[in-house]
Amino acid sequence: MLVLITRPPYGLEEAFAGARLALGGKVSGVMDETSVLLIGDGTLNALEAQNPAAVAMPSNLEALQDILDLDGQVFCVEPDLRERVGDMKVLDGIKMISWDEAREIVNAHQLVTTF
Amino acid sequence: MGTLCIQLRSGTMMNMDSNVAVKLAKAAMDKGHKVTMFGYGEAVTLIKDGQDPKRFPNVGKEISKMTAEGLEVVVCETCCVARGIHRGEEIRGTKIGSLTNDFSRMAAEADRLVTIAR
Repeated sequence: MLVLITRPPYGLEEAFAGARLALGGKVSGVMDETSVLLIGDGTLNALEAQNPAAVAMPSNLEALQDILDLDGQVFCVEPDLRERVGDMKVLDGIKMISWDEAREIVNAHQLVTTF
Repeated sequence: MGTLCIQLRSGTMMNMDSNVAVKLAKAAMDKGHKVTMFGYGEAVTLIKDGQDPKRFPNVGKEISKMTAEGLEVVVCETCCVARGIHRGEEIRGTKIGSLTNDFSRMAAEADRLVTIAR
């Protein structure tokens, strides 16, 4: 399963819900593979310098780190991120990819769900 | 025949999404397919017993009928607790379950996964 995250980390519930769903799929043991693809405003979830405590919200970054710790893959469309925040640092382990690679990843998955 | 999994994320009275989900499930079941439905986020209201909208379709009533005909409906427990919906308040035949155990199984068993959200 591929979890496509299109929304920013805070202000909406979607990105958090998507990251938790991917984590649930990863730990369930019944999914062959669960990966996350960050696109559009969803690429902001990859930024390392998030401080969710400032708004008393849970950390999406922690959920993404948990997925990486479980050998899951997290992809981020680099042009989408760079046009929003320039060269800010992203969480180690997140794979930066092009739109062509993102299309290939979507095509390679049987199940895709969008947040 | 195949298996369709519908992931719904809109609440029953937010918009038409839950009606679309129910109609899609019914159409697939009428063609002989197995259908599973997982409610996440606001969509946990799907299984709340006692829904009584005055001027809109009663999704709860449809869910009640369709579970008796084989539709499997599960919603996220964490999302339920966050919204004050507890076990015992669900429509008979539906389940308050989990992402990890239930949605993952539903998605893994599905031939098609449809996400209905905004």
